[in-house]
Amino acid sequence: MLYVKNLHKSYQSGNKSYPVLKGIDLSVADQEFTAVMGPSGSGKSTLLNCISCYIPFDEGTITLGSQQLKGLSEDALAKVRNEKLGFVFQDFMLLDGLTIRENILVPRIIRGKVDKDTEKLTGQLLALFGIEHISDKYPADVSGGERQRTAVARSLINQPLLLLADEPTGNLDSKSSRTVIEAFEDARDQLGASIFMVTHDSFAASFCDRVILLKDGRVYDNLKKEESQSAFQDRLLASIKKMSSETV
Amino acid sequence: MTTMKLLEKKLQKADQKQAVLYLFCNFVSLVIITAYSAMMLSPTVLLVLPQGGDSRKQMTAVFVLALFGCTVFTVYASCLFFRKKSRQLGTLMALGASRKRLAPGLFREVLLLSGTSSFLGILAGIPFVWLLWNGFRLFLVNSQEMTLKLDFRFLYLSAAFFVLVVACSCINAFRYLKRTNIMDVVREEHRNEPVKQLGRWCGPLGFLLVLAGAVMGYSAPDVYMKLFHAYPNALLNLLYAPVFAGLYLIMLHTVTHGWHIHRKNPYKNLISRSMMKFQGKQTVNNLLVSTVLIAGGSFAMFYLPTLGVSSVLETASRPFDYFYHYRQDQHIPGERELSAMAREHGTAIRDFREVPYLSLGMDGTTQIEDGGNSFHIEYIELLEEGKFFSETDYETLTGEKLSVKKGSYYAISNEAETGTFYINTEASKLTNMDTRQSLPVSFAGFAHYGLLSDRIGYYILNDEDYSQIARDLSPQWMGRCACFNADGTDSYEFAQDFFHTLVSSFGPECEYPDTYDRVYKIYLNEQGETYWGDTDQMSRLSYDHPDTTDFRTYWTYMPKSRMLDRSDFVKNFAVFLMMFLFIAIICSLAAMVIGYTRCLTIALNNRSVFEDLKRLGASPAFLRREIKSQAGPVFQFPGLMGMGIMYFLYFLILLANDGKFTTGEAIGMAACFGLLLIFAGIYFLVYRFTVKSMCRQLEIL
Repeated sequence: MLYVKNLHKSYQSGNKSYPVLKGIDLSVADQEFTAVMGPSGSGKSTLLNCISCYIPFDEGTITLGSQQLKGLSEDALAKVRNEKLGFVFQDFMLLDGLTIRENILVPRIIRGKVDKDTEKLTGQLLALFGIEHISDKYPADVSGGERQRTAVARSLINQPLLLLADEPTGNLDSKSSRTVIEAFEDARDQLGASIFMVTHDSFAASFCDRVILLKDGRVYDNLKKEESQSAFQDRLLASIKKMSSETV
Repeated sequence: MTTMKLLEKKLQKADQKQAVLYLFCNFVSLVIITAYSAMMLSPTVLLVLPQGGDSRKQMTAVFVLALFGCTVFTVYASCLFFRKKSRQLGTLMALGASRKRLAPGLFREVLLLSGTSSFLGILAGIPFVWLLWNGFRLFLVNSQEMTLKLDFRFLYLSAAFFVLVVACSCINAFRYLKRTNIMDVVREEHRNEPVKQLGRWCGPLGFLLVLAGAVMGYSAPDVYMKLFHAYPNALLNLLYAPVFAGLYLIMLHTVTHGWHIHRKNPYKNLISRSMMKFQGKQTVNNLLVSTVLIAGGSFAMFYLPTLGVSSVLETASRPFDYFYHYRQDQHIPGERELSAMAREHGTAIRDFREVPYLSLGMDGTTQIEDGGNSFHIEYIELLEEGKFFSETDYETLTGEKLSVKKGSYYAISNEAETGTFYINTEASKLTNMDTRQSLPVSFAGFAHYGLLSDRIGYYILNDEDYSQIARDLSPQWMGRCACFNADGTDSYEFAQDFFHTLVSSFGPECEYPDTYDRVYKIYLNEQGETYWGDTDQMSRLSYDHPDTTDFRTYWTYMPKSRMLDRSDFVKNFAVFLMMFLFIAIICSLAAMVIGYTRCLTIALNNRSVFEDLKRLGASPAFLRREIKSQAGPVFQFPGLMGMGIMYFLYFLILLANDGKFTTGEAIGMAACFGLLLIFAGIYFLVYRFTVKSMCRQLEIL
């Protein structure tokens, strides 16, 4: 599904270059729910932005399905973002002037294909994520959890290959966080979506099939979930603790 | 909603508030530029403001300031619009909309907004000028001269600004679409704009630069002319640049450090100071523009009191109600005719005195242009005309006994000896223009008599010298001065009748302004050269229009009448006054609008901060204080700096004019201060209104 090989990315400030990603290798399988964790500055968001085609990368390859992202034109990258990727952001990034239903439809409008099937799919997504009752309301009138579930529904409207989520629970309370994680699980189980989530929240990450730990722009650990959710969270915390102590 | 076009339409509708703010800013800029350029290029104004004169230069200088202010304001409005728009653009890009897909809609929107607002601004500018000008005519002064005529070439300036506004919007749209990092576009709205924080030295250094720039810029032309014997290039005005750099540093200090040092309580104003710092760039730019506009407005405002006070004082201090002079070859009404005229108007004349004078050629040195900008100093034997009394006649006229040594002369000036630049104190010989007989003389000093302070100067000779040089002088080089008082109450009708009768008594040979020098003309003609006064450069006066400002200000035989000068002062200077009042209103209005817009932007951008403070338990009083500490500097500092700097600069100008600061000037400056207080009061009311609007926006009771 997603293959990242030897990914390098650095930022330029004046004459100085600051390497952020120093050769990342990872992959996400079909219908896999993967999380990326790591301390601040480890390169999580940069990695996600490179995969999202939001920022160009310096070296390495990113392959989505069978398509290499490096060297694609602006238009082709936009097409990839629209048709093959779905996005969920920490601050939801819903358009304030549109209703919940219209927000969900935006990626499909950009694609230029709004038909009866789309309407039907929108209805299904609204129902699946429990936001049917607010479909005609505006983002400012609904709760944070509902906004994020709207964002999840929006990310799935074009039935993408991969759903990318950047700290999706970062702005939410624990109850709302739980409903959003459940929304991701529903997307994976019922719609066959693959999910790649960047998070700081070990509780949210413990629901994933796999957690990749990043440190200083490199993959530190790759933990596959083989036990119960709580036991996986304990293992995850132990690994994070170990990583932190090595930093000190 | 099924297509991109419908989606964009809906989003535009949702962004209406932002669009209205953008429209408003552009609209205001265009109204100001259109109104100002319409006025600046109006034949009504150009006819009265002499070409190459100080008033016209001042008007143009303030226009440049207004143009600078409006440009920065427009760029600011455009950036503000795109900052808000960027989240929407970034979200659509993140969701897969290509730049090509977004470009048509975005350009359509900005072209529509900037184009419409600019067009409406130009349209509104014309009635705005008309209303303001005719408002002046209705409430202040109305005369034939004040009829507003517009030269529609001013629309070129408006059109150029229109293009600037539209281009600025399109460039901004292009910049946002061109960005490669989509996350930068998304986060643009929340991106802080901290200014580069300099140490606490930047404020004091700013004041020094302002002072240095003002002094350098003002004195540079004189120094340049003395050093290089050439007229300075306009580029020399760049020496004023430190004023702007200094102002920037002062504003920077205001935003980053503030001017209150809270050693005991360093956390006081922590929130407001931080909020200001993190939007520093925009705030500093806004403060700078407002300062420049307020300075321009104050400059225009000072014109009225300084001119008015000096005129009122001069008129009041005259020892006679009426004074006039004429060439002896003219048939001018004498005491008998004037008494009869006075009787017709129910008044009488008393204290009538009349003495003769001689018009003689004086020598001296002057600047002779060599072509291009350069000149050299040259001695000219017949440099200019001077009007000479004998010491006895001077005593008859003024009552002052003066003993003038043979071979010397006194120059007559007012008490303060101002305007001495047109009094010749270096003449070494006087020439009888008919016989060319000359008399060697030297300057002995000043005699003071304000009534005889004139563009073509009056001088006093020893009685014997006077008789000697007057021999065989023809009536065209001889004149008479007369003065009298009105017995009892003077009447405006008599003053008008006196003036118009006098004008109609003069022949066409006297129909010229006081800048026309008969002696220098003869000298040049004898050298085979043409006198500039006989070319088209010379502004023409006509007996047909004796009530125009031009005629009353510049006619060489213009009589003085206390009644006429007092009653018609506003009328005579109406166009000057209206023009400068207009500039003051335009600049002040622009500064107020900028301050108001900036404060509302601060409120809108920091809504979340105020909401967090509310959640943390901040009382309405605390929140109001925070709002005031945001709005305060936006109004206070530009107000204080703009007014203060211009007050100082005006003082410098008055001082440098003749190296003296006279009582009249001091009273004028006091009147300016009073005017500033009134302006500050209005400015304060706008500040209060702004704070209330901010509170309303942030729902603070």
